Amino acid sequence: MRAKKRTEAQKRRSAEVLKKKKKFQNLQTSELPSFRTIIIHGNVRGNRVPSRILEEQTQHTVQEGTRELHIMADGQHGIGGRIWPRKETVKITVEGPVGQRLGSMGMPGTEIVVKGSVSDDVGWLNCGAKITVLGDATNGAWNAAAQGILYIQGSGGARCDTMTKHNPRFNPPQSWYFRNVGDSFAEFKAGGISVICGVNPRNPKNIIGYRPCIGMVGGIIYFRGPIQGYSEKDVKLLNLTPQDWEWLRTNMKHFLEAIDRKSYYKELTRSTEDWKKLIAYTPQEKRERKWFKISAVDFRKNMWEKEVGQGGIFAEYLSHELTVLPYITTGNERRNKPVWANEKYLPPCAYACPTRIPSHKRATLIRQGKIHDALELVLQYSPLPATVCGQICPNLCMNACTRGQIDKPLAINKYGSLALELPSPKKEKPTGHKIAVIGGGPAGLSASWQLALKGHNVDLYEAADKLGGKVELCIPRERLPHEILEKELSRFSEIGVNVHLNTRVDSYKFHEIYKNHEIVVIACGAHQPRTVKFDGSEHIISAYDFLKDINSGKKPVLKGKKVVVIGAGNVGMDVASEAYMYGAESVIAVDIQKPAAFGKEMELAASKGTKILWPKFTERYDHKEKKIYFKDGSSLDADIVVISIGDVPLLDFLSPSIHTEKGWIEVNDIGQTSDVKVFAIGDATQPGLVTHAIGQGRVLADIIHYQLMHAPRQSEVKQVIPYDRIRTEYYDACTGDFTPEKEANKCMSCAACRDCRMCEATCYWGAISRVEHKDGSYEYIVDEDKCIGCGFCAGICPCGVWEMVENV
Amino acid sequence: MEPAYRLDHNHKLSLREFPYIIRWRDDRCKRCGRCTAACPVKAIEPTVKILRTIQSEGPVPTPAATRKITHIVEQVADMERYCTGCGACVLVCPNEAIEPEFNPQNKFLFYKNKGGEGYKRGGRRNDPSISNLDRLKFTRISMLTDPALDAGRHEFRIRTLLGRILPPEELPLKNENGILAVDKTIEKFIPPVREIYPIMIGSMSVGALSPTMWEGLAMGIAYLNEVEGLPVVMCSGEGGMPPRLLKSKYLKYFIIQIASGYFGWDEIIYALPHMVEDPAAIEIKYGQGAKPGDGGLLMAQKVLKLIANIRGVPQFVDLASPPTHQTKYSIEEAVAKMIQSMSMAWGFRVPVYPKISGSKTARAVLNNLARNPYAAALSIDGEDGGTGAAYNVSMDKMGHPIASNLRECYLDLVKQGKQNELPLIAAGGIGKKGNLAANAAALIMLGASAVSIGKYIMQAAADCFGDEYNRCNLCNTGKCPRGITTQDPKLYRRLDSDKVAERVVEAFKAADVELKKIFAPMGRSTELPIGMSDGLSTDDKAMAERLDISYAC
Repeated sequence: MRAKKRTEAQKRRSAEVLKKKKKFQNLQTSELPSFRTIIIHGNVRGNRVPSRILEEQTQHTVQEGTRELHIMADGQHGIGGRIWPRKETVKITVEGPVGQRLGSMGMPGTEIVVKGSVSDDVGWLNCGAKITVLGDATNGAWNAAAQGILYIQGSGGARCDTMTKHNPRFNPPQSWYFRNVGDSFAEFKAGGISVICGVNPRNPKNIIGYRPCIGMVGGIIYFRGPIQGYSEKDVKLLNLTPQDWEWLRTNMKHFLEAIDRKSYYKELTRSTEDWKKLIAYTPQEKRERKWFKISAVDFRKNMWEKEVGQGGIFAEYLSHELTVLPYITTGNERRNKPVWANEKYLPPCAYACPTRIPSHKRATLIRQGKIHDALELVLQYSPLPATVCGQICPNLCMNACTRGQIDKPLAINKYGSLALELPSPKKEKPTGHKIAVIGGGPAGLSASWQLALKGHNVDLYEAADKLGGKVELCIPRERLPHEILEKELSRFSEIGVNVHLNTRVDSYKFHEIYKNHEIVVIACGAHQPRTVKFDGSEHIISAYDFLKDINSGKKPVLKGKKVVVIGAGNVGMDVASEAYMYGAESVIAVDIQKPAAFGKEMELAASKGTKILWPKFTERYDHKEKKIYFKDGSSLDADIVVISIGDVPLLDFLSPSIHTEKGWIEVNDIGQTSDVKVFAIGDATQPGLVTHAIGQGRVLADIIHYQLMHAPRQSEVKQVIPYDRIRTEYYDACTGDFTPEKEANKCMSCAACRDCRMCEATCYWGAISRVEHKDGSYEYIVDEDKCIGCGFCAGICPCGVWEMVENV
Repeated sequence: MEPAYRLDHNHKLSLREFPYIIRWRDDRCKRCGRCTAACPVKAIEPTVKILRTIQSEGPVPTPAATRKITHIVEQVADMERYCTGCGACVLVCPNEAIEPEFNPQNKFLFYKNKGGEGYKRGGRRNDPSISNLDRLKFTRISMLTDPALDAGRHEFRIRTLLGRILPPEELPLKNENGILAVDKTIEKFIPPVREIYPIMIGSMSVGALSPTMWEGLAMGIAYLNEVEGLPVVMCSGEGGMPPRLLKSKYLKYFIIQIASGYFGWDEIIYALPHMVEDPAAIEIKYGQGAKPGDGGLLMAQKVLKLIANIRGVPQFVDLASPPTHQTKYSIEEAVAKMIQSMSMAWGFRVPVYPKISGSKTARAVLNNLARNPYAAALSIDGEDGGTGAAYNVSMDKMGHPIASNLRECYLDLVKQGKQNELPLIAAGGIGKKGNLAANAAALIMLGASAVSIGKYIMQAAADCFGDEYNRCNLCNTGKCPRGITTQDPKLYRRLDSDKVAERVVEAFKAADVELKKIFAPMGRSTELPIGMSDGLSTDDKAMAERLDISYAC
């Protein structure tokens, strides 16, 4: 088996030898490699040898030991490349027309001499061959060469020495051009040394061609002669160092010798001045390079402003500095700034109170230990605090109180009651002005009280024999103990108002009053019950009369009676409560719509058993049957029917100069009637609560005072502080009984500084400080140079005092 | 009735309805207030919170309540102070304690109509999906079939012509000693033509922009021309031009716009005798891509001394630019009249062209222009253009995408054989997603001679916060946190015009490099590939069909 195999292998080998013999018929000498030089013909009898065959022959010949070849080329590709003589030297001489890429992928030890010019890409990807061209090289010489040497006796074409590199394991590749090189030289050159001697150049103006060194990152180009630019972003032009010069002079000898131009040595090494070199910028240098040819700042200064004017194109219209501002600014450059807007707004309690009683100030005074001052303060606002705030008022202030969000509203009603025992406050000096007030009800009392306190001479006319109006006449004693009212009315009498009781004002009397006073205030109230006509309506009584009779001592006998009240408002509820009080078996209030009753009146009536039915439209009242019939066909037993659908004012005394509208006196927003001397307040102008009447009296007194004293009046219209400005989070729910002090601490001091220093502690920039004045007052101030306008003070102020405003 | 204090969340909006939700970190915040000071819309504010915990430490329940007050930064649940997501807070926070987060479930548009006013804003169309222009790819790459060009190695000449180009047979040429020359003895009108860079900065007015922004752009333009040799031009927008610039040699780099408000034009006319250079061109604005058929209003509070002077109006008045020109009633009349007047002002030496919003009617306008010997170009602004102020509905729902609009106009010109005569300028969404050069090249290859940009340069040169998620878009309010679109010195002084100029230069130089990177592999280096649509493809079949380009997937 084995023997047979060997024979077959032998056979194959001898067949190959035979083949080769045939193939290598163009070898001039015997196939034995003992001869020194072997000549290979690129053309045999007129037939061009293919590049592939010439290559095989070359490789074979060298393998067989030949070290000198002479190739008679005929345009073959890649002659002399890829020969690996293993540390020996192989010399190849080439004659005739060579093809492209002579010596490509050449190896160390290969030495090629071309006796004439070469085609494109000579020395392509050379790895160590030494190639000498005794003529010109066309385009692309030395492209991607990595080692070895290229000597060109003539010049190089376009795109020579592109992509050459230097592998640190070997010496750098060298390329020498005796004359010049063409365009786009040394593009993307990454290493290696190029020398262009510039002798007798084909383009005498530019020996390294158009746009050389694009993308060059390494290597050196030595050249001698004129050039016309290079890629300035990639390479720099320098003089030769002594080391460069030494290297050039030494190696120049070998070059000139190889290309047979030794006679030029002197000329080419005449002076280092004749030579320049181009080397690539290092990556470091490129990184440090400025992106801009000139900086924007210099451009502005030296070009832009020189042309358009100092400060730029808009400078003539700008009044501010032309500098750049940071995002966080202080002083005038802040977008917003804080303002310590102490008491700029009204707290909800004072705002909700028609009299604007500043309950928060009472709390502040109590917190400061001034309980007496606190309680007294209310008398500046109302003559009847214990009566109204303490008893009959629905306490709109408490309804509005912010504290209600946490536990219970502040017990402002109790502050009112505490004022009961207070003496009358001090009056101002007499002014000599004479004012008439018609009506001694809450509105008239309030106006008279205020005007008298201000030192005016007030005549108060009251038709009844007592002051108090409906408070005296119609409010059940059960809700308002009479002694409280009496006590406060006696305090009123100390103030020195000229009270004219039992003085019904008719048109004659009105005329007289009008003539004798500078100002007339009508506060006659509404004392005429409204009625509706239906069958049997003559047998019903009005709530006004029903309540008035009780308060004046005519007690009704209602034992076992069934009472129906038409109209389920608060007065209706008072009627119901009183009816039960006097023995009624049942009270049913009916209304045509959802009942308007609320608060204490409603609670009291309901607690006694009052029922409310609605909607009920009364059709008739059968007085004999004791039955009231409604339009829906239903009926109720009714021994007594009370109608409680409101009262209207009795205005028959008015002069025609005072305009009324639908039975009410028409007034403008300062309470003035169509007669400028006559003002009207309270129920005479529109129905309202007692507290409304008192509020209107106070405000009007103020207006009249300023008018009479010719003083400019500061408008009282302050806005209410929104609830969300009050930081209720600082407070915790409280329990326990009422004491004035405890209650004062619970007050959140809406819109009024509590002096807690929270802002001062919070400000990150230390811009807020507290300043105390000589009079004991204080304020918080902002250091504009520190404040950035962040709004922390405003955001965290317990009282909503700090406010952010636009900084203009 | 409930007492007022009892009402709590009634009619309050939850933060979930808001477009951006502030994420604030208690553990990082040092309560310095920088964020609340910087927030342009006061969407965040400092406030107080209670922390209450119950502890029970004994072996049996021994409750003890601990109550602590803390100060926090909180987002305001008020639609009038909604967080726009601009991120000024992020910018100024030293501790990375705050950040707005986009809320895709927001119900913003249900609520942003207080007082019966539709939502108005600045910015761009809120459509974050992929831009049409970004779906165009360059698929004809030369390797072996054409000379392969190298963007880094070869010389390029990226230039375009602005102005009507007469075909050779219409040019009065004569043989002058063997050299072809224009025969000036024949009185034929030869339209003025400018060689410019094919990307220009579109019309943004003095007024819409702050002085620092406008001057920054203008300086950048001058720099590009004077120092870099890139002939980039910029359009003034409708708001006049500062006389100092009108009288300078740099005027030649600017296109002056005239629009329906004619603001600033008497001042421009006064400056005429003092001009040392002609402007690059005159643009007549008939429409804007971002808000077609909608006019502009510069609010009185923005009309300060600077604006008043440049526009030639009193201070503190509302300045309305109506949607239409008031004395023009038809294409024929409008175009003929305006182009004549504007050409006449500079002795027919300056190209004059109209700008319209992208619209199905664009071809009608184009056909008219093609017959007008004085028309220098047509600029079409597509729906993705930006604006300083418009109704949201105009911005989001009105308008025509630029690609097919431009394409059909170009193909119309091709049918008439006039594609090389009347340049088309395309605008609206170029560089919407940052791909300035690619979008510009795509439009050029669809038939545009040049493109106009606005938002891209706002973003690139001045760090505009805006995006298609309605981020910031506060341009109309005068509260621009970057100082780009505001007349408040406290805000616009945040912007350094030198920096803007520098960024304009960088952006254009980079775009120039990128254009080369596109054109080189396609084998074009010296002629702009206008209409070279065989180089384009898209992965959308319908789009390919509509644009008459190839479909590639």
